[in-house]
Amino acid sequence: MNQLLKNIYLATFRINTTQNLHTTIPVTAWSKSDVPKSFLKFNKKIYPPQDPSEEPRPAYVCHQKTNFKYSPDKLWYIASFVRGMTVDEAIKQLSFVNKKGAGLVKEAILEAQELAVTKHNVEFRSNLWIAESFSGKGVVIKGIRRHARGRLGEVRYQYSHYFVRLEEGKPPVDYYKRNPLTPQEQLDKWLEQMRKRKITNSF
Amino acid sequence: MANCILAKIGQLRFLPATNLLQPYRTTTSKHYNPKFKKLRKEKFLKINLHDYNEDIDNLPEEKVRQKMKERGLLPTRPWNDRPFYVSATGGVFEAYIPPEGDGKASIVSTTRAKQTVELLEKKSKSMMAIRKVKSFDEDFDTKEFCRIAQDIYVKAHESLVNNDRHALRTHVTEKAYPEFRHNSFGKTIRWKFLESLEPPRVVHARCTDVISKENIFGQITVRFHTRQQLSVYDRFGRLLHGSEILAKDVLEYVVFEKHLSNVYGNWRVHGKIIPDWAPPKDPSKLTRLMPEEKTVVPEKTDSEETPVVPDK
Repeated sequence: MNQLLKNIYLATFRINTTQNLHTTIPVTAWSKSDVPKSFLKFNKKIYPPQDPSEEPRPAYVCHQKTNFKYSPDKLWYIASFVRGMTVDEAIKQLSFVNKKGAGLVKEAILEAQELAVTKHNVEFRSNLWIAESFSGKGVVIKGIRRHARGRLGEVRYQYSHYFVRLEEGKPPVDYYKRNPLTPQEQLDKWLEQMRKRKITNSF
Repeated sequence: MANCILAKIGQLRFLPATNLLQPYRTTTSKHYNPKFKKLRKEKFLKINLHDYNEDIDNLPEEKVRQKMKERGLLPTRPWNDRPFYVSATGGVFEAYIPPEGDGKASIVSTTRAKQTVELLEKKSKSMMAIRKVKSFDEDFDTKEFCRIAQDIYVKAHESLVNNDRHALRTHVTEKAYPEFRHNSFGKTIRWKFLESLEPPRVVHARCTDVISKENIFGQITVRFHTRQQLSVYDRFGRLLHGSEILAKDVLEYVVFEKHLSNVYGNWRVHGKIIPDWAPPKDPSKLTRLMPEEKTVVPEKTDSEETPVVPDK
C-alpha cells in the first residue's frame, strides 16, 4: 500500500518537474524508476564452489545510495578518500570531515556493513574494507535564473549517487601506491638498472 | 622574511583601532549593501526540489494525506484479496505418525504398544483410501506407484538443484514449493541420489473432499530409505552444509498428493513427515557472532494465520 503511494507520489513529482504536455497520472503510477540497477546486480552473482584446499573466497557486498541532493563532483573527493580503508577507519575518519557528503557516505558504509553481516555471510563486521567507492550523477533538475537585458541562465540542481563495495578481509597495505618502494628497494632497483645497461654494438 | 606572519601583524599597529573591530568582506562581486540581497535572490526562479530519499513508509498518516491532497491524488484501493489455490490442499491431513525407531523399538516401551493398536485402526483406513484412489485411477497399483514416487522424488530434487522453477512446479505441489525453495536463493546445491537401500513402500493413504463432495484429494505417504549425498555452498562458493565426499543414509516419509477429481491431476510431492524421534539436525558450518540481546518487548498476541484450505 505504502509502496504504491510512494510510486504515485514519485510519479506525480516527475510530472511537476518535467513540464509534460499530459497531466494525467494513472499510467505514470507504474512508471520506471531512474535508480541505477547494474551495480547491485553483483550482489546476485553466484561463484562456483571451491575445493576445501582452496583459500575461501572473500565475501563482498555492494551497496548504493541514490539521488540525494549533493554535487557528484564534491562527493568524488570523499569517495576516493575512504577507498582502501577498513570500515572502522573510514567511519572514524569521515566523522571528522566537515562536509555534507561525508555524512551520506558514512551512512552508506554503515548500511552496507549491516547488509554484509545479515545477508552475505560475513562473520565479523569489522573485518571489512572498502574495495570500491565512487560517486555517480543522479537526476539533474534544471532551473532558471535571470540575467541582465532579459537574458536567461540555466541553473543545475544536481543529485548524486554513491556506490560502495565492502570486501571481507584486511585492506591492501598501500592501496593508492603512494609509497610503493622502501629506500632499500629503491636502491636495489637503481643498482639493477645500472647493471642491466648495455653498450650497443658490443659483446 | 618579508612574508613572515610577524611582519604582517606588526604592521597592524599602523591601522586605526576601529578597523579591526569592523567586519570586512572578501567577496567583491556582490554589492556591500545587504538590501540588494533580496533582489539577488529573486533572480533565481523558485522551484521545489524533491527529496527522493524521504522515508514515506514511516511518514505519519496525516502527512501522506496532505501530500496526496497537494497533488490531487485519490487514495488507492486497499489490497484485500487473499489469493488461494484450489489444486492442492494447504497441509497434510491425518498425518502418518512413524512408529518409534521406525518400528524397530522394543515392544515393551509404552509408546510402541500404543502405536501398534493405532496402526491396526489406521491400516483399514488406508485400505479404504487406496480403494478410493483406484476408483478414479483404475491402473493404480501400490507397487508401481512406489516406483513412480521415487522417480518424482528424485526429479523434484534435481530440478531444485538445477534451479529449474518450471520443472519443480510439475513435481511439487503449491504448498511444498515454498518449502522446497526456502533458503535456497543464491546457493549452489550439489545433490546426488546414490541408491535405494530398501525398496520404497506405501505406509499411509488418505482421501478427503474439499468444499464440495466430488472435489477429492488423495494423499499417500511413502517411506524411502536411501543413500544420498548433499553439499550446499553459499554465493561465494564456500561450503555451508554437508560434504562432497560423504554419503548419508536417509530415512524419509514423503507425502505425495494428487487432485483425484482432476482428470489431468498428477502425483506430486506435498510434504515430509519428520518424526519426533528423528536425530537432531547437523549444526551449520557457518559461524556467526552472537547477536546482542535486545530488550524484550512484550509481544502482542497475533491471531494465528488460518490455512487457506482447512485441514481435515
